[in-house]
Amino acid sequence: MSITELLLELVLMPIVAFVIGLFMVLMMRRIGARLQRRVGPPVFQPLYDIVKLYGKRTQVSHGLMHDIGIVMAVGGYVAAETLLPMPGMNGIAEKGGLIALLYVIMIPSLGLALGVGQCANPNGSIGISRALTAMLAYDIPFVIVIFGVAWHFGTTNLVEIIALQQAGGIATWGAVEMPLLAIAGLFGMQAMLGKQPFEIYVAPAEIATGPMVEMGGKYLGGLFVMQCFQLYTAAVLYVTLFLGGGENWLFFLIKIFAVVAIPMSIAFLFPRYRTEDLVGLLWKWPVMAALIGVALVM
Amino acid sequence: MTHLDLLLLVALINLPVAWWLAGGATRRRLLALPYGLMLGMLLYMDPGATWDSGLSWVFLGQSLSWRLDGLGWFFALPTIGAALAAAAYSSGEWGEDFAGAGGSMGWLQLALAANVFAMLVLLAAGDLLTLFIGWELVSWAGLPLMVLAGGAAVGAGIRYITYAMGGGMAVLLGVVLVYVWTGSLVPADFMAVLPTLASWQVGLLVALFFGGFGVKMALLPFHLWQAPAYGLSVGPAAAFLGAISSRMGLFAMALVLVKFITLERLVDLTVIPGLLDSRDVLAWVAAFTIILPTYTALKQNDARLLLAWHGIGQGGYMVLGLVMGDAMGSAGGLLHVFNYATNQAVLLLAVFAVMHRTGTADLNRMGGLIVRMPLSFLALLIGIIGLAGLPPMNGFVSKWLVYRSLVLEGEPLLFLAAIIGTLGTILSVYKLIHNIFLGQLRVEHEDIREAPWSMTGPMLVLCAVIVVTGTMPGLVLGVVADAQQAIGLAVPDYHLGGVTSPAGGLDMLWLNGVIMAGFAVGAVLFYGFGGRTKRVHQLDNYAGGHFLTADVRYQYSDNFYPGLMHHIGGWYRGSFQWLEGALISVVDLLATALRGFYHQAQPAAWVLFTITLGFAWAVLP
Repeated sequence: MSITELLLELVLMPIVAFVIGLFMVLMMRRIGARLQRRVGPPVFQPLYDIVKLYGKRTQVSHGLMHDIGIVMAVGGYVAAETLLPMPGMNGIAEKGGLIALLYVIMIPSLGLALGVGQCANPNGSIGISRALTAMLAYDIPFVIVIFGVAWHFGTTNLVEIIALQQAGGIATWGAVEMPLLAIAGLFGMQAMLGKQPFEIYVAPAEIATGPMVEMGGKYLGGLFVMQCFQLYTAAVLYVTLFLGGGENWLFFLIKIFAVVAIPMSIAFLFPRYRTEDLVGLLWKWPVMAALIGVALVM
Repeated sequence: MTHLDLLLLVALINLPVAWWLAGGATRRRLLALPYGLMLGMLLYMDPGATWDSGLSWVFLGQSLSWRLDGLGWFFALPTIGAALAAAAYSSGEWGEDFAGAGGSMGWLQLALAANVFAMLVLLAAGDLLTLFIGWELVSWAGLPLMVLAGGAAVGAGIRYITYAMGGGMAVLLGVVLVYVWTGSLVPADFMAVLPTLASWQVGLLVALFFGGFGVKMALLPFHLWQAPAYGLSVGPAAAFLGAISSRMGLFAMALVLVKFITLERLVDLTVIPGLLDSRDVLAWVAAFTIILPTYTALKQNDARLLLAWHGIGQGGYMVLGLVMGDAMGSAGGLLHVFNYATNQAVLLLAVFAVMHRTGTADLNRMGGLIVRMPLSFLALLIGIIGLAGLPPMNGFVSKWLVYRSLVLEGEPLLFLAAIIGTLGTILSVYKLIHNIFLGQLRVEHEDIREAPWSMTGPMLVLCAVIVVTGTMPGLVLGVVADAQQAIGLAVPDYHLGGVTSPAGGLDMLWLNGVIMAGFAVGAVLFYGFGGRTKRVHQLDNYAGGHFLTADVRYQYSDNFYPGLMHHIGGWYRGSFQWLEGALISVVDLLATALRGFYHQAQPAAWVLFTITLGFAWAVLP
């Protein structure tokens, strides 16, 4: 591949990811509406929301780190998308791999945490404390899953992991060969997306939306953009590890939207766990399933 | 006189020179100069070559000598670099204030110079006896640096030297046993005999050397001394000690366990048949050293102790990578020595810069200092990202190599332990930066200024090193490769941006490139679109209908992670302190019993009895 083609991919991949992410947000709202017997928003509502937030006249800044935090939150995901293969485009997936991706997607969280911290609002700091605790909770089963997948396929190269699954057909998909890891991964993804019952760090009635308490205007708009990327990233990562990646764009889209639909559907049916319950739950069942799953693949 | 002799001579001459330079405000500006000269001399010496000393010594018929190979060179680099940063940091306002407050700059600089000299002597050890001499020099040289602050630091120093003497005795016994069993202390000779020794003999040597060197590394369960000994020292001394001092233990382990005894022999030493060999034991000691001190750090409310506890945990990654023994793992373990040294030095220097201005390191008594000390904040930010092992900093690369090795070697639980350590570090360092620089600025800190350039300068230079070697790890991986070759380990296929491997490589040039490009896109979106931002005062905040005033302290700092502590809080039972206390009680009881026994019986008869036994042991075949 020529350098020009690679650079073109690096530009296109985040744009495609963002557009798909917008539709994922739409789907999330539509699922919620259906479950709550509402009509739900129009197709372009997520985009309207972002434009509205960016266009607000009052843009309150609590300092440079508050601004840079949003830049890091969005920028980290823009970088992460270039590490995730999509049909016809691998970006720099082979120059980083699974472990690097795992750490790059922590950059937005760090940015958000730093930005919220400078707001000097204890509600925001409490939210970040809870979010980081949740990260510790869900990452433990998730890294066991990562290990199991890497060991099973003998590589941390995401392009190769997809190729190995596609070469053998559905029977060699990660979800078929490692069902326990796939279940544990799904559990982890639910928490990673911060959806109910794992959204204690937002808790509007208790800590006034936590990290978002001082976010308005384009700060909140930036977090909205980040959410689009986050949904896309989680879905594509799961499809890459367990569902054979994207053979073509049609299957790719079906798979990633189906994967995102699962946590969204669950989210609207569950209340919220307290932080200690969240940690306890994630350290029990998914860890157990993942460890048994790893034992079975080794 | 050889190049190595010249380097050691300059390090030795620096002792009186440093003392003299520390004596005047103008002369202090030159404190970093000798270390700059030493660094230049080291860089002139090819790390791929072996640099012999002209000095040799015959003892018990053994020809003993000093030589610096790739391994010694690699450890010498952060040693001199950390001393350079510490000396530069103390050469300006910090030094004046320290001297003004009654501190002895002369003793501080003399002790720093003595440490560098002792470490170079150790790193150039050519045989087991010179290794032991260097080991003892390093052990004792550290003490003055630790006790300079007085007060609680003295107690911490005494605790350290007690542990160090115990470790030193274990090493000495190991050296004596090697001599008794192989007839030589020269590597070429005893390495030829070591394979013929029985498993129990090699096992005993491994236990003695690993235990002895492990004390310096503060590996579990010998870790209690380190955090207060390093953390409670004075600023530049703490930065130097924290950055490199305990890594001398890793150097000695690499030399003795990996090069002399070899990892293959460690694997052959079965501990539990079919389940555990001695290499596994070492790896698990390293894994527990990663986890337990890291989560102890999470509980600290003193910024210095928080970082010092992390220093212990980070040592676990180094040992873990080293004992994995494959090209990636050992490269990661060794590379982490350099990366960690840069991260920890900058972190401690930043924390002491804050302490210099605020007079406190209590994480519950600060906050919001980002607006008063932006450069120190930047230094701490870069340092914590590196320490946590996140891209784009250098700490990510070394940890990535260790993780990669654990995945490919099929070690799920060790991999999990390593990641748990990293996650704990992320939580802990966020608390550190949040409680110091973010959140509410206290009224008493309203008029604080940034630290002077003499302090921020070394911090920013170290930050540049962290970023550059994070983006171009090949710059250090080349030296790491020389160190690996010097101890007979395989070398990864490295390049300027990282490593290549059929099972997935890493190219930090590209990775950091897209991260920076991502930030650029994020910046364009943020600053290029939407309305202009309006900066508000920290009290202009959503407070649920209440008005905030400057006298109300609303910083969220204490018990920062209550949800997590709900689960792990009960684990902080101080079991190791209890163990240490129990050991002290046993020794105390034995000493009291012996003293009582001696006083009750006829002292002269016991002396006669002891001398007779001694003669009998010496004379009888």
